Amino acid sequence: MAGTVAAERLRLNRFGHAYVGLGAVVIALLFYLALAAQITQASYDITRLQDQQRQLVAEQDQLRYQEVTLHAPAQVQQQAAQSGMQRVVPNTYVAGQPVAIDLTAPVGASPTDTTPLWLRAVAMVVNTVGGTRDVLAASKH
Amino acid sequence: MFVVAVILAGTVWSRLAYWQVAQHGRLASAAQAQYREFVELPALRGAIFDRNLTQLVVNTTVYSAFVSPDQVKPDDRDRVATALATALGVDRSKVMKTLASSAKFAYISRRVAKAKADQLRALKLPGVGLQEETQRSYLPGIAGGTTLAANLLGFVDWNGNGNYGLEGKYQKALAGTPGYISSYRDLANREIVLGTHTHQNPANGLDLVTTLDANIQYAAEQALADGVKRDNAESGSVLIMDPATGGIVAWADYPSYNANDFNHTDPALFKDNVVSYVYEPGSVMKVVTLSGAINAGAIAPGTVINDPGVLSVGGYRIYDWDRRNHGNVDFTYVLAHSLNVGAMKAMLAEGHAAFYNNLQAFGLTQPSGVDVAGENCLLPPKADQMSDSQYATASFGQGIDVNMVQMLGAINVVANGGKYAPPHIVERVGTQVNPVVLQPERQAVTAATAAKMTEMMKQVVQHGSGWTSRIRGFELDQAGKTGTSQIPVNGEYTQDVWTSFVGFLPAQHPKFTMLVVIRKPHYPGSDRDWTLNDGYMTAEPIWKTIAQTIIVDWHITPDPQ
Repeated sequence: MAGTVAAERLRLNRFGHAYVGLGAVVIALLFYLALAAQITQASYDITRLQDQQRQLVAEQDQLRYQEVTLHAPAQVQQQAAQSGMQRVVPNTYVAGQPVAIDLTAPVGASPTDTTPLWLRAVAMVVNTVGGTRDVLAASKH
Repeated sequence: MFVVAVILAGTVWSRLAYWQVAQHGRLASAAQAQYREFVELPALRGAIFDRNLTQLVVNTTVYSAFVSPDQVKPDDRDRVATALATALGVDRSKVMKTLASSAKFAYISRRVAKAKADQLRALKLPGVGLQEETQRSYLPGIAGGTTLAANLLGFVDWNGNGNYGLEGKYQKALAGTPGYISSYRDLANREIVLGTHTHQNPANGLDLVTTLDANIQYAAEQALADGVKRDNAESGSVLIMDPATGGIVAWADYPSYNANDFNHTDPALFKDNVVSYVYEPGSVMKVVTLSGAINAGAIAPGTVINDPGVLSVGGYRIYDWDRRNHGNVDFTYVLAHSLNVGAMKAMLAEGHAAFYNNLQAFGLTQPSGVDVAGENCLLPPKADQMSDSQYATASFGQGIDVNMVQMLGAINVVANGGKYAPPHIVERVGTQVNPVVLQPERQAVTAATAAKMTEMMKQVVQHGSGWTSRIRGFELDQAGKTGTSQIPVNGEYTQDVWTSFVGFLPAQHPKFTMLVVIRKPHYPGSDRDWTLNDGYMTAEPIWKTIAQTIIVDWHITPDPQ
């Protein structure tokens, strides 16, 4: 009799084990699902934050361009002009000694042609007889 | 019965084999394409800085607005079109037409600024989206809608490719290498987080640090624009170099363009005349000719020659610019008054072979190699293929073609104690120093020759054609040379000219070398007196204006006399 009761309990315990096993699997599954849901949620958050970051980077780029533009020579000059400032070329740089040349004089005259007249005449004849052609020497000053 | 069964089974099996074996690859990739996504991670393009680390170009984000017409209900079309027209300033009727079409995707407006994009985003219009894109934004230049150093920097097109200038030359370094993310997506096109990922970070582009000075660049552009307008010229360019290193300080072209609006620009303006345009340098070349002859010991600055105003060479009679008999003159006078006969006699005194070697030493027989895209040059024929008359005209800068970088590099030899400094614009790529900077400089002529030529060039400013470039305080301490040459068209010289002026100061310890070239000037009054188109009237005043700015900005003082 006692053996029968024990056997009955054991059978019950076998079902109990099965239930426990099943429960564990269900819990693990739920845990996995919860974890997966959390990860998925996190991934959506990451995507959202990445979007936000992109926006902020775009704003930062825009600000950097504004900053660089503010320092650009064109902008500086424009603002200086608006403030009534202008670039001044200094009249002198060092306490100068008298300049040795007449700076107001135009380009100097050529020296006197000292070629004898007879040589010029010979050259003219030789050039004419030689039949050399004129070439426009186009390199001026 | 059995045979029929075998035939039927065979048909099914062979069909299965066809789909599962023969077509496996195609079907597998088609399936993968539906759930696998490959996203390119663009690399950030490198910035470009000047010598003071002023940023010359900034990456900004712009947005392209698009619609998916099939996702806009007919009832919403009117509202969507009105909102798009208001926010983006586009034609409403065109938007309506697009919305009524059967297209799946259509751009409404490309590359709009963030402010407008934000406005549009806030409206939450159905079927309307924004696509992020990166844009290069360049600094404003002189008035007239140009950007600073546009021709030097070039621009980046909408596909991210650098065009012209530094953007073109350094495309690979600036662009970097894009990365990617490969992942799986669900039906809603959301990433499956637990799926397999492959992730490769992008390698961002490298920054360039140039030798440019933004302030001097701006001053050069401004003076050049004013000068070209005053001279009624077709165009003009300015190139400024650090004599000791060959680093380019300013590189200006006029007319120029707005690199921020390259897609609405005449492509002819993209050409960089500093490095892509060849011209005959005219009398500036006499500096090279006389330096070579002095270096070879064939002449000295004080050597006296007779200049009857004309010389017969190779069957041609070649004249001085003024066709006058100058009598007995020395070579200092020849340079100061730019006499062609004197230059030819110097070339003949040193000989053809030595003259050609001299051209090589000054870097005029090969490209300058400057690190900017699009260098163009017409190299002279080989030494033994040049005729006597070609040698003669080359000695005073006609019949020989150079670009401005080549010419300034050559003149810089004189300013740099006889050493040829390779012209370059980029000093550092990322953290690496540009190898050109580390190259030893080539001794083209002796330091003594360079010193003698410097003295001769000082005389050009003090007593010769360089007088309009004199700067108060530096009158005795600046060196220069003008050049004017006629422009050949179809083998005939026309009345149009290239004019130029090259110079450096302080003469003994130069801080900069500058070359100004003006193309086809028509100076006021030149229809009555064509000499007004000369370099001393057109190019020199521009040189002087820019030099005055550099003197102030760089705190340059004259050498004590």
